[in-house]
Amino acid sequence: MVGESRLGKVYVIVIFLLPSLVGLVAFNVIPIIHSIYASLTEWDLITPAKFIGIENYLGIFQDENSVKGMINTFKFVGGYIPLALFLSLIFAALLDMKLRWIKLYRALFFVPVIISWVVVSLIWLWLFNSDTGLINYLLSMLGIQGPMWLQDESTAMLAVIIASLSKDLGYFTIILLSGLQGISDEYYESADIDGANAFQKFFKITIPCLTPILFFVLVILLITSLQVFDQVYVMTGGGPYGSTRTLVLEIYDNAFQLNKAGFACAQAWFLVIIIWIVTVSQNKLQKRWVHYDSI
Amino acid sequence: MVKKILGLMIAVALMFSVFAGCSSTGGKNAASNQKAEDKGKVTASAVEEKKEEVKKEEVKKEEKKEPVKIKFMQNSANGGKEETLKSMIEDFQKKNPDVVVESEIVPWKDYFTKLNIVISSGSSAPDVFELGYENFGQYAAKGLLKELDEAIAKDKDFKPESIKKLAYDAYKFNGKQMGVCTDFSAVVLYYNKDLFDSKKVAYPQGNWTWKDELEAAKKLTDEGKGIWGSVSPLQAYEFYKTIAQNNGSIWGSDGKSVTVNSKECVDALQWMLDKSMKYKISPRFSSDIYTQPDADVNAFAAGKVAMLRTGIWNMVRFTKDAKFKWDIALEPGNTKPAHHFFSNGLVTSKDSKNVEAAWKFIKYMAIDPYVISQRIEKDWNVPVVNNDAIMTAYFKKTPPESKKVVTDTLDSLVLPPLGPIPDKWNEMTKILGDELDKAKFGKQSVQKSLDSAKEKIEKLVQK
Amino acid sequence: MIRYKKDLILKVMVHGILIITLFALIFPFIWMLFGAFKDANEVIQMPPKIFPSKFNLTNFSEIRSLFPVELFLFNSILVALVSTLLQMIFCAAAGYIFAKVSFKGRELLFTLYLITMMIPQQLIMITLYKVFVGMNLQNTYLGIILPGTYNALGIFLLRQHISTISDSFLEAGFMDGASHFRVFRQIILPLCKPALATLAILAFMGSWNAFLWPLIITSDTRLATLPLGLSKLQSRWTTSWNLLMAGNVVSFIPMLLVYIFAQRYFIKSISLSGVKG
Repeated sequence: MVGESRLGKVYVIVIFLLPSLVGLVAFNVIPIIHSIYASLTEWDLITPAKFIGIENYLGIFQDENSVKGMINTFKFVGGYIPLALFLSLIFAALLDMKLRWIKLYRALFFVPVIISWVVVSLIWLWLFNSDTGLINYLLSMLGIQGPMWLQDESTAMLAVIIASLSKDLGYFTIILLSGLQGISDEYYESADIDGANAFQKFFKITIPCLTPILFFVLVILLITSLQVFDQVYVMTGGGPYGSTRTLVLEIYDNAFQLNKAGFACAQAWFLVIIIWIVTVSQNKLQKRWVHYDSI
Repeated sequence: MVKKILGLMIAVALMFSVFAGCSSTGGKNAASNQKAEDKGKVTASAVEEKKEEVKKEEVKKEEKKEPVKIKFMQNSANGGKEETLKSMIEDFQKKNPDVVVESEIVPWKDYFTKLNIVISSGSSAPDVFELGYENFGQYAAKGLLKELDEAIAKDKDFKPESIKKLAYDAYKFNGKQMGVCTDFSAVVLYYNKDLFDSKKVAYPQGNWTWKDELEAAKKLTDEGKGIWGSVSPLQAYEFYKTIAQNNGSIWGSDGKSVTVNSKECVDALQWMLDKSMKYKISPRFSSDIYTQPDADVNAFAAGKVAMLRTGIWNMVRFTKDAKFKWDIALEPGNTKPAHHFFSNGLVTSKDSKNVEAAWKFIKYMAIDPYVISQRIEKDWNVPVVNNDAIMTAYFKKTPPESKKVVTDTLDSLVLPPLGPIPDKWNEMTKILGDELDKAKFGKQSVQKSLDSAKEKIEKLVQK
Repeated sequence: MIRYKKDLILKVMVHGILIITLFALIFPFIWMLFGAFKDANEVIQMPPKIFPSKFNLTNFSEIRSLFPVELFLFNSILVALVSTLLQMIFCAAAGYIFAKVSFKGRELLFTLYLITMMIPQQLIMITLYKVFVGMNLQNTYLGIILPGTYNALGIFLLRQHISTISDSFLEAGFMDGASHFRVFRQIILPLCKPALATLAILAFMGSWNAFLWPLIITSDTRLATLPLGLSKLQSRWTTSWNLLMAGNVVSFIPMLLVYIFAQRYFIKSISLSGVKG
């Protein structure tokens, strides 16, 4: 980079990074270090911790609930991420068009993101009700016998995914939309001069320009959906028969309800390792498809 | 290098100025809140300042005795009784000017999360906090609670007999008084008199058995009109009570062996299921009455349920919303009656430095006439005092006419069956809940569910 | 002419898709909005009715009698505004460094930032509470605000956006003798307005809905934010759904206003690629 003297650069780096560094150290590194220690202890939060080495980590694989929590989490992630990415990209592109009422559409699209899960969950419980719910009613009009949804372990996670998508779609759409807005019109204008059609423009300009933001969305999707908690905590409580108990719900219960905070910390670090592996491989792969700086 | 360090120092200095900026926004908060203060609302920082001033003044005047401050955390006032609790505390402070109570109300769902985090920080555990019996056991077992026997012995005004014995003794641990029960809630059988009248069925009586309930419910059920004879929830809490009504128990007579799959328990669970699946006096388990929150209560209020087992906390709701005559009765049992006992008690943290003040406050919350009259007047939980005059006032507050049933439940109460693992109560209810669900939706037989519950609970004990 | 017709069909289709999707997505919201005017029975009636039998405002006045809504609103707005502002400054600054100023260990440091996102926040709070009690920040606005000012997601977002800005802009700036500060202020910030607007929305929403941390760090009701107030509508046994919906409608409005306000910056920045031919 062209620019100032080395001192100037150090000075700039420190000033610009310091506020977040303070937050990093004080609000995160200290608790993180403590949680690493806690993961090596038997600890119920309220009485002193007892050091037991890596026993908690070994216990994760023998603990039926942990394994189930992991499987459930992967089920959620596997269903949720592809759909969220695909749908939010489509809707971001549609909302980026120059249309009448587009501002209204954009505003309404974000509405579900704002409402709290506590309230939303009530209506979803009804929508998914197998006897009187709207979804099964609509299905029956198509001649399909709807499942028991939230009472059936084979469909409960699917129901959670559907509810989550309907609430979160606006969130990712808006992020992608802001990325689309960042792409200069001039690219498109010069493409117009070259006589490109809409599809060519989309794949030759829009997608490449959007890759840094797409990458961001993908990473955030992975990090947040591997930590899925709110919706299952409020809507299903992990049921039926633990089929929607995700790993973070398991961690939360262990830490605050079941007096196993030490074990919960170990589970949390196990989760970090999973997310870490996924993120690093994302980062490796990004070099192949993410275009920074220019197209 | 020197320059580098110099630069760093400047940066740090700048950072501090950023922080100063933050705290000046804090100052601004206080300033802008000064406006709120005019409306009678004081900010925390303003309070602090004022207290400082007051302190200084006091020091100036003379060595005056400073009031003792106790922190109090509880959950049962959340959801509508906040003002009632506030008035109780104000009254307490009037009667005890040497004690200041700093109260904090935490929602039930997050109560133990916050309580445990606060305790784990070590520094600021509340002096007095609220625990139900099912949680009292584990805090006592872990040595987190202060023994109150000494304070009680010193207190000449207090007689343990003034509190109902069963309730008072529930907060004993290893023979030592670790807390005092202040109030309780129960579950009773609500019934819709109009529906009974229209089908000419006799009202439920205290000596009814399951069979009587079934006979009546069969006559009352009218599927075409969407009217159900009898509705009860199906979860772990309902289960441990229902098995007790059939002489069953999760724990054997030795208090250690697991008998959750005994014939009594199996039959009891089968009965719970049969009401819906065989006799059809209850709706299907997949219907909204069971799957939607509060839907059973709502259905009763709408006149769609003839008999409903639910908590006494719903009386207020039915008094307001039910457009028919209703009353309550003891729950029918099979071989014997059994009723829930949801207690609230106050305990003192072992680190509390103000045990005397804490005890004063606990006693006040349990037996003071003002507290009791407020509990009754505001339809909060039921006091546990042994005082007929007071309880008569409670019974007189109708509907329901048979309000005395509420305290009659105490004669056949079942405490949450903590067994040898009081610290794993939540885990146990989770296990039971999962197994009950499997039986409920026909995933496996009742016997198999309870066998597997037994196996899992035994594993808990061994851990 | 044919081209015009094709455009028209396309537009109608897009409108159709958007309207149908939107209707499905905001159905829970519509139901909540009308629920705010229903009474306790009607609100959980099965099967539900969308429209209330009559619109009554008693739910709103009842909430006001239960807790000081205005004070909680004030607290929420104050906390969210300060937090959002600080987050925007901090994230943009850090994002700039991570995108455009390279130094040894930068990737490693950024990785550390990312890791903090991977730990379940509920566990972080156990120790964080201890740290804040140590700093004597319990029961202060600062205590509620501070942890939120560190937003790794925001830094990541800004880093990604700033990465898309061509280096040639910056180089042109440095050629003219501008410092990093000036380049940041006069080139970077204006160019990432859409990203900053997005961050503002996300940051405000995060702070607006925050529940567990404010609950833990405050015990004084006078500092309570709106979500803490709304939790007062649920007791151990019962939930006042009609009041909860009315309360959520109240809580919804400021958030929507912020969104609409921020959306104004979702305009394409002109001549972003000025240097590029």
